[in-house]
Amino acid sequence: MAAQTIAEAAILEGRQAQAFPFFGAERRGAPVMAFARIDDRRICDRTQVAEPDMLVVMDASLLDIEPVALGLKKEGCAVVNSPMRPEEIDLGVVARCVSVDATSIALEHLKAPIVNTAILGAMARADAFVSLASIQRAIVNRFGEKLGERAGSINSEAAGAAFERSREGMCRGERKMQRGNAWLPTWQETPPGVALGRWERGGMAVGPGSMRQNMTGTWGTSSPTYTRARCIGCQRCWFICPEGCIRRLEDDSLEFDLRYCKGCGLCAKVCPKEAIAMHRKGAGA
Amino acid sequence: MEQRVNIRSMPQEDHLLSGHGACAGCGVAIAVKNLMRVLGRNTTVYVPASCLLIFGGGMYPHSAFDVPFLYSAFENTGAVISGIKAGYRRQGKDVTVVGIAGDGGTFDIGLQALSGAAERNEDVIYVCVDNEAYMNTGTQRSGSTPFGAWTTTTPVGSRVKGKRSFKKDLMAVVASQDIAYAATLSIAHMNDFVQKVERAKARKGFRFLHIMAPCPSGWKADPSLTYDLARLAVETGMWSLYEVEEGEAHVTYRPKEMLPVGEYLKLQGRFKHMDREDVEALQAWLCRKWRMRYAPSQPPLDRTDDLACDGDGCEGA
Amino acid sequence: MRAVRALTGNAAAAYGVKLCRPEVIPNYPITPQTIIIEQLADFINDGELDADFIPADSEHSAMSIAIGAAATGVRTFTATASHGLALMHEMLYAPPQLRLPILLVDVNRSLGAGSGIWVEYNDSMPERDSGWMQAYAEDAQEVLDMVIQAYRIAEDPRVVLPFMLCLDGFILSHTVERVEVPGQEEVDAFLPRFSPLNRLDPEAPMCMNMAVSPTHAMEMRYQLDRQMEGARQVIAEVDEAFGKAFGRSYGGLLDTYLMEDAEIALITLGTATSTARVAVDELRAEGRKVGLIKLRFMRPFPHEELREAVKGLRALGVFDRSVSFNRFGPVFTEVRSSLYGSGVPITDHIAGIGGRDLKVSTFRDMFALLERSASGGRVRECTWHGLRGEM
Repeated sequence: MAAQTIAEAAILEGRQAQAFPFFGAERRGAPVMAFARIDDRRICDRTQVAEPDMLVVMDASLLDIEPVALGLKKEGCAVVNSPMRPEEIDLGVVARCVSVDATSIALEHLKAPIVNTAILGAMARADAFVSLASIQRAIVNRFGEKLGERAGSINSEAAGAAFERSREGMCRGERKMQRGNAWLPTWQETPPGVALGRWERGGMAVGPGSMRQNMTGTWGTSSPTYTRARCIGCQRCWFICPEGCIRRLEDDSLEFDLRYCKGCGLCAKVCPKEAIAMHRKGAGA
Repeated sequence: MEQRVNIRSMPQEDHLLSGHGACAGCGVAIAVKNLMRVLGRNTTVYVPASCLLIFGGGMYPHSAFDVPFLYSAFENTGAVISGIKAGYRRQGKDVTVVGIAGDGGTFDIGLQALSGAAERNEDVIYVCVDNEAYMNTGTQRSGSTPFGAWTTTTPVGSRVKGKRSFKKDLMAVVASQDIAYAATLSIAHMNDFVQKVERAKARKGFRFLHIMAPCPSGWKADPSLTYDLARLAVETGMWSLYEVEEGEAHVTYRPKEMLPVGEYLKLQGRFKHMDREDVEALQAWLCRKWRMRYAPSQPPLDRTDDLACDGDGCEGA
Repeated sequence: MRAVRALTGNAAAAYGVKLCRPEVIPNYPITPQTIIIEQLADFINDGELDADFIPADSEHSAMSIAIGAAATGVRTFTATASHGLALMHEMLYAPPQLRLPILLVDVNRSLGAGSGIWVEYNDSMPERDSGWMQAYAEDAQEVLDMVIQAYRIAEDPRVVLPFMLCLDGFILSHTVERVEVPGQEEVDAFLPRFSPLNRLDPEAPMCMNMAVSPTHAMEMRYQLDRQMEGARQVIAEVDEAFGKAFGRSYGGLLDTYLMEDAEIALITLGTATSTARVAVDELRAEGRKVGLIKLRFMRPFPHEELREAVKGLRALGVFDRSVSFNRFGPVFTEVRSSLYGSGVPITDHIAGIGGRDLKVSTFRDMFALLERSASGGRVRECTWHGLRGEM
């Protein structure tokens, strides 16, 4: 949505633009990519962008999972959704950086941690290639048409707030960036029959149960805290947790494996004794 | 007599593992995770095209199911599980074979294959995880979508607002085939849930489990509301809990009194446009269903009562 | 113990299937195939064949059941025709990539509006892109023999692909002929027990067919392409081994008739080959150097064998019993593409559409055009034979 809106903003300014997602098959909350190109001439290149002028990181927890800045051009700029100042952000490359706490801005304006409009304001701040005014017009067009006038205006306000509250600087380049394990077999190595057992391939587990390596705990914006003293061992939270994050111990008390927690809050919801409470991540428990 | 399991005594080993890619608060994930805990290791899973295929069956080379898994198409769950069971039977392997399909894959495109398998009394378990629209393709209406609901193919326009037809009573369609066991389940009625899965697992022949699985993304509701929505669905009559054995239906949970449907609708963005007239139409339909479900031997004498029904005191007794 | 029987093409298919002892037979009736599954039902209910007979709710479900059963590692069989095959179309794309060597007999029948129950290849020809091997039989004996060969080819560890055996509706399916039925013990000796490549089994879980992204699909597709190409060798070997065991062989991917000194030749498939043989015999008696190439497989396609067979020809005709509208029959397109650069003039000869009877004279007409072509005369690229009205 952010890529489409920035493209629309450029088109409103009389330029050529193109925006497209990586056509994955993920559910809401999973890491996704989207690309945009802006030019004064017709854009023929339809390939994915590998070396962007601007890198937009909507969720800073991605920095721990993916080497997102690997292709960022030397003179390029990174826009990162983070409460931290640019100097505190380690992108893996030293680069010009704009940081903004888009999650807080979204919660304030939209009452939901949906950051894709707020972040557009920071993008306008990072580079004047598209003006804030055009971006806000594009937001009103896109969101207003679909979700009503009010949705258009509050999203536009979120972008404006982000523009104001963005901080500019240089990010750090200390973290080692390497691509995650990928198993890319040749046609001869590809196991026949689209079938896999519990095997190890390319340095990772494949086949039955191997999604266990997918640490979905980075998706959420909040996580539970558990007060063992209050727990009566009813197991309602264990039953309801969609992720299977909750393990039952010998004495029927629980252990939370937050590596998979997406922060839905259902465990707290079904607890009859308020032994579980949800907290926004990074806000301190 | 069978032992009454509950969530404290049910098997704990997961077979839909952590790391699956469902949205936060996904009702399908809750349903399938607990279904698989009860069915256990000696199970083979078929999943047709659906969210579950993508988030659980997985993207090559990974899968969240740690038991044998197969996918092939959208409309053929009843058929493929028949084949898997036949193959195992020929090899003398006693394996629980389960097909887990969504509402689109069951109510609509998969109904024929489901009905065929039921009629042949195949020794399999067919599970419909019902989130009331085609969620995998981005929330299009299905035969399961309730009256009035917004979906991308029943949009809220200036002339027509939301779905104009009522939810298909699939359970009645399937149960009418006189199968070994049929039950409706809710993730909010946890002990009832595991007991029904346990009963299905223990029986031979064709078994059908219909699980209401709220979808925070498609219903436009907060992920933390999945449980409340599942619970309110039963209290308002949008869902009911019963099982059918040897042609006879037994209600397994009867709400004390009927809550007005508005209590359920107001938590979901998909219903927020509904005007009074539409809410009343839905309420009247629900009252009729409520009476048929909970007081089938006492049909209302005065049909006009239905129209006056406002959600309270229309339990039919 | 071998026995000589008078069998229809359909019955010959059923006898062949019985001898191969499939474990699961999902099925759905459709003319002109129905007799095959009826006969198999008789075998099972009379205790002559131990198999699970599963009457499906549609051909789509029949193929889905076959996929489920084959995925557990058992031998499966199903049969269909025309609209049934079209309804199966979606599911046909799963067994090749899943490497499930299911045998499907398709009794060719025309498809769609403007058609009846009679033979045309517009049901099976569109499926040659699905990844199934596809063979066409000429007579009832070949039907029975090819069922046995098909399982051995399909299940060979170097192949492991599904097999579609096609036979002409009515002209073969309902025609009684002399058929030698092999003994069970000799078929058991010829056809090893089925040993699957992968199988569903809770003892050793596998996941089969999750969603595949662009990062892996292309290698899978190329692997399948190579697998099909490799099947050519196995088909030739199995035919030879079959000849040694049963005294009948068919030339593998293609067969030739009086081609040694032939100057002009026609490519045929299915029962048309038989009638074309009569035309060739007549023309030979008249001193014409004509020959016949019997195309037995559309997939894998005998591209090399064909180049060898047409060497020295002055003209080549291709018989087609279906058409890709405005671009010839599919056999012609395949043949001409395989023979690109060979220098042999090739023309297309469409006939027998919608089951129209093919006469000996129809084939003589084709040869007449080929002779004209060979002597430098002008011949249409594609001629519809027996068509009323000027082309």
